Amino acid sequence: VSSGGRTPRDELAESTAVGDVYLRRLVRAQLTLSLLAVVAFGALLGALPLALILLPGLDDMLVLGLPAALWIVGAPMFVLLVALGFLYRRRADALDDAFRDLVRGPES
Amino acid sequence: VIAVAAVTAVVLGTVGLGAWGVRLARTTSDVFVASRAVSPWWNAAAISGEYLSAASFLGIAGLEMKLGAGALWLPLGFTAGYLALLLFVAAPLRRFGSYTIPDFAEARLESPFMRLVAAAVVLVIAGFYLVPQLKGAGLTLGVVTGSPYWVGVVVVGLIVALIVALGGMRGITYVQAYQYWVKTFAICVPACVLLLHLGGLPERAALFGKELPRAPAAGLSVQLDGATDVEFPAATSYRLDGVVRRARAGEEITLKGRLELPPRATVPVADGTDALRGEDWSAPVSGDTTATPLYVYSLLLATVLGTMGLPHILVRFYTNPDGPAARRTTVRVLGLLGLFYLFPVVYGLLGRALVPELYITGTTDEVVLRLPEVAWPGLGGEILAAIVAAGAFAAFMSTASGLLVSLGGTISYDIWPRLRHGPGGSRTRRFRVAAALAMVPPMLLALVAHDIDISLLVGWAFALAASTFCPLLLLGIWWAGLTARGAAAGLVVGTVVSSGAIFTSLLAGGGELLQQPAVVSVPLAFLTMWLVSRATASRAPDPSAHMLALHAPEGLGFDAAR
Repeated sequence: VSSGGRTPRDELAESTAVGDVYLRRLVRAQLTLSLLAVVAFGALLGALPLALILLPGLDDMLVLGLPAALWIVGAPMFVLLVALGFLYRRRADALDDAFRDLVRGPES
Repeated sequence: VIAVAAVTAVVLGTVGLGAWGVRLARTTSDVFVASRAVSPWWNAAAISGEYLSAASFLGIAGLEMKLGAGALWLPLGFTAGYLALLLFVAAPLRRFGSYTIPDFAEARLESPFMRLVAAAVVLVIAGFYLVPQLKGAGLTLGVVTGSPYWVGVVVVGLIVALIVALGGMRGITYVQAYQYWVKTFAICVPACVLLLHLGGLPERAALFGKELPRAPAAGLSVQLDGATDVEFPAATSYRLDGVVRRARAGEEITLKGRLELPPRATVPVADGTDALRGEDWSAPVSGDTTATPLYVYSLLLATVLGTMGLPHILVRFYTNPDGPAARRTTVRVLGLLGLFYLFPVVYGLLGRALVPELYITGTTDEVVLRLPEVAWPGLGGEILAAIVAAGAFAAFMSTASGLLVSLGGTISYDIWPRLRHGPGGSRTRRFRVAAALAMVPPMLLALVAHDIDISLLVGWAFALAASTFCPLLLLGIWWAGLTARGAAAGLVVGTVVSSGAIFTSLLAGGGELLQQPAVVSVPLAFLTMWLVSRATASRAPDPSAHMLALHAPEGLGFDAAR
């Protein structure tokens, strides 16, 4: 790809300036994705205790015989965790694939 | 009798699977990383099985009964910890290819000294986490068979040591996957059957209204063998060894002997438990010390980040074939844990309504074991009680074996080869000897620590893990600038601050920050690692090869082959 027949893989293996840029870009992309997921989940989980304090009505509202606040803390957050984990995994694997294609170049 | 049979069946199943695993464990790779050939579903069940300990099976329901809905944050934090693991640790750690956290610390930071520092922290966390498992075993066997406390401790300790020493990682994987399903069955089925049998939740006013827990319509009779300090939240008459007495509202009395309460009397609560009215008890966040927003946030931080630093969990990630498989495994773990954690709350709710005598004795930890026979007297309750007892045993055995694998691994792999005059032997033999010997100190401690609260020891292990290995892993994986000196300084600061706070609260009492110091100790550890690393950056070796090994996807030839 670049002059002298050096492939991105060589640049990475020899840890040249170019290789470091490749790697840093991958690490940054993965970290951004992870932090995005953390912000999404943290906003929900972090807001939950506050919401329960600010909306005391949730303790009194009964859903299927249980106060709504118990339901909210007890069940749907687990589903949310799995959903978020699943979405993250797909994106993270896709980022890895894109990097692999970039490094291997068009011939493979 | 049914309970003894059920417990025996689970133990025999464990030993049988363990023995099968011994036949599989032929090579060193089998013993240490199960030949890195465990499929995501098996591995996810094994990780969940290893993680759901005495604290999860007995402790959460007990805490929910004692503290109320504030304890609901615990299972949420315990599960969310795996999301953090998935986002930041799972794939890179697997790719890096080191076997233990000390191994990672030495390789990433190129410092043999870091291996020893990290190994010391592993020994402390895993050793102390093992004590409550054995303690739970002693208590459970006592409740089930009436045997003395030490019998359960010794029986479970010996069985676990035997299975781990012989089977290693490969054998333990199948044992733990099996035990996850035993536990989930054992917590789910009795909870659902009891709810159907009772036709819903009884005593609604004490659960969600303005009432305190009351004695049942037939009165309540409790045998108090030791002198017990209790507080009467409401005025009532009672009989002690047949003598009629009266208690004023708010009166604190030391009781010993047979306590009898009249029908519908408000039950007294043991010292250290707050008598909460239903409306406060069922609020997940409130002004109560163990449910203030600050306490809740600190607890979430400790459980989420502590999970990431538990050494016996991290070892499991090395048994995945590659990075993407590690990710897939972790997503499945999230689902399996979420499934399990839906049910402990049922025992907490029913326990408050139906087994209020546990408030008097202060042993709410036993609610899961005691509830079935109270809620459904007769054969039905007996069978359900047998099922939960068997599940509890699966919980101690799986977590204890996971901890022992990581203790044995750290001693035989990280410490032993560095002893100058240590005995030799193959790696596998060293592991077996180390695992067998490592069981001894926690067993002795568990025999002595009959009176120490299970949740206290567990809370300490999590706070310590969150303040030490969590910053080490996060910075080590994602920040090229971490140096050995920075990491060592951070580990020391995290250990000292978190254990110092907890010991202070243990000896002198204290507010929520001393009991749950993670919200302070974790940022301090991060800050220390960052500052010291910046100051010592010039002497650090070039980390780019390590960053490549951590983050380069498979198939490019950069995988660390170790």
